[in-house]
Amino acid sequence: MMLVSLASLRPGDKAIVDSIEAGRGATRRLLDLGVTPGELVEVVRSARFGGPLEIRVRGSELSIGRGIAMKVLVQREG
Amino acid sequence: MNRHLVHAVKEEEPLEGRLTIALAGNCNVGKSVVFNQLTGLHQHVGNWPGKTVEKAEGTTNFEGTTMDIVDLPGIYSLSTYSVEERVTLEYIVNQKPDVVVDVVDASLLERNLYFTIQLLEAETPLVVALNQMDEAQKKGISTDTKRLEQQLGVPVVPMIAVRGIGFHELMTATRDVAQRRTERKVIPIRYGPEVEVHVEGIAKVIEEKPVGLPTRFTAVRLLEGDEYMRQLVARVNEEAIAVAEEHKRRLEKAHGHSVASVIASERYEIVRKIVRASQSTVPKALTFGDRLDEITTTGILGYIIMVGVIASMFVAVFAVGDKVASLLGETFLVLGPMVVRAFGGGTVGELVWGGLEGLIAGITLALPYIVPFYAIMAVLEDSGYLARMAFMMDSVMHVVGLHGKAFIPLVLGYGCNVPACLGCRIMETDRERTLAVFLTTLIPCAGRTIVILGLVGRYVGIEWALGLYALDLLVILALGRLAYKTLPGEPSGLIMEVPPYRMPHLSTTLKRTWFETSSFVTMALPLMVLGSVVLKALEVAGALGPISGLLSPISVGLLGLPPVAGVVLIFGVLRKELTLVMLAALSGTANLSSILTASQMIVFSVVTMFYIPCLGTVVALYKELGWKKALAIVMSEVALALAVGGLLSRVLPTLMASLT
Repeated sequence: MMLVSLASLRPGDKAIVDSIEAGRGATRRLLDLGVTPGELVEVVRSARFGGPLEIRVRGSELSIGRGIAMKVLVQREG
Repeated sequence: MNRHLVHAVKEEEPLEGRLTIALAGNCNVGKSVVFNQLTGLHQHVGNWPGKTVEKAEGTTNFEGTTMDIVDLPGIYSLSTYSVEERVTLEYIVNQKPDVVVDVVDASLLERNLYFTIQLLEAETPLVVALNQMDEAQKKGISTDTKRLEQQLGVPVVPMIAVRGIGFHELMTATRDVAQRRTERKVIPIRYGPEVEVHVEGIAKVIEEKPVGLPTRFTAVRLLEGDEYMRQLVARVNEEAIAVAEEHKRRLEKAHGHSVASVIASERYEIVRKIVRASQSTVPKALTFGDRLDEITTTGILGYIIMVGVIASMFVAVFAVGDKVASLLGETFLVLGPMVVRAFGGGTVGELVWGGLEGLIAGITLALPYIVPFYAIMAVLEDSGYLARMAFMMDSVMHVVGLHGKAFIPLVLGYGCNVPACLGCRIMETDRERTLAVFLTTLIPCAGRTIVILGLVGRYVGIEWALGLYALDLLVILALGRLAYKTLPGEPSGLIMEVPPYRMPHLSTTLKRTWFETSSFVTMALPLMVLGSVVLKALEVAGALGPISGLLSPISVGLLGLPPVAGVVLIFGVLRKELTLVMLAALSGTANLSSILTASQMIVFSVVTMFYIPCLGTVVALYKELGWKKALAIVMSEVALALAVGGLLSRVLPTLMASLT
């Protein structure tokens, strides 16, 4: 299975989190907010001008800056 | 209704003294609504000692028992990575509140219980306030509260805080837990076997030399590599640290993922089981809020709506604020002759008037600008729109090394820097708060706009005035990038929960605004009065002339301004627009073009724009960042003003001559 970054997904795409390669603080925050390896995430929308992604995970919605989203590796679903 | 949770209930005995109740929970769960409903007008907003994290405290009385309520910061974990998390853990561990009330969003139970089970691990006496029951219902979620209680081992009280539902039950449960705190039933949180081996391994070593914290809680934190916990334990039990390191290494090797992610996943696994056992969901169609979300955050329309919202914010705060401010100013001017009558026109009268001027400056700042600002910030935040704005503006704010959340304080800085600095509190890390506050103080506020437009705009030309705003943006851009590179710490990107759109709770917003304002005003007013009296004393003592002389190497030599400018700029520290008023007063003419050349006007305005932030802003800086950082910002901005002003005074005359 090929791994891609979360930032490469488009609105409506779903994926399974594989690993987070961001800095300590950002990784900790993502984990605490429920973005954990093995979990399903869905991209809800993506801001213009290279802005953040909004994802849905465990029933809640999160904005994630593109820089950090590039460091979240996922496996595309479907 | 919660009796079955408690075994070996002691005889009812009247409780002496007061109870201390701490409110904890995630952000956006209605915690502050619960706090406000409980404490009413008996509350106080301040900071945690030595921290820039806000602390709200209040009291309430329930059936004869007085309870002190502490509102802990909204957090998602006890991992102590952020200041807020550390404040919470330290409070729970050291102050040992009689009960922690964990406010939980029933519509997002999984994410919320992730925090709850950490509180359970910390073995703090706990009551779960299951809030937002109405929202959960709208989403098609139904909760079996009894099952949830059995799973968690602590009382669970269903609530709709905004409608005042569930408070009596909450207080009853809280009081009951407080009175029987020693008999609490503990259901241990068990991880999967792979992780349990390591937790128990560390726990065994901790038990040999206890550290005064719950053993398993400590063991799990050490395994996760929590730096704060490491420091705590290292003082008492060096061996535990070494053992934890070894277990951490082994677990990481076996698992291939970082321990932090293994344990987070396991915690969520535990939580998911609890949620599955106690909640069931029937999916519902898109709600009105979902559709509104789509419109306001996606595409160009979202940006158009945002511009509209910001514009109306400005009108609300600054058009109205300005009117009220000048009205108040005029009203207070009447006091002048009264002071003269009461204290005479001599030194005493002058000093009293000086103090009053400071008071007036403080009041005309607080009432028209800070009150509406806090109210608007509260509405933006509680409604959920702030999160959407941050989402849309994130990439723009990255240009100056900040992320989307800094947009609001920066924009509002154009009205008044003071509330804008206070608003930078929404930034998560110290690093970002410092950077945002620093850049905010460089934004030309309404006071500086008066100088720029009244001097450069009026006498030199509007294009030059606009040029100054462009120069200001360039400086902010350059310094933002510089500070971004030089400030210590890890630059953090945007990671933010996007809460659903909600109707802000009116009485919570109003009370919050009131207490935040009074907390600032009680701090700022004495300082403003003092500063004003000192200025007046200098004037009365005839020190202004000599000071002008002392400053002349800078004002005349470096900046090429007339000698009077030195004194005028000192007065500008109180309020920036005073520079213009004082310049006219001290020169004895309202026609400023007779005393300043065009290039001098530009230099004067640029210096006014950048040098020391006004006294009110300095107080805000001190409040938000502490005096060291406040001083550093003040000094660097003085240097900046002199550098840019000095440069312009040498370049501009030739440049302007060649243009005409």
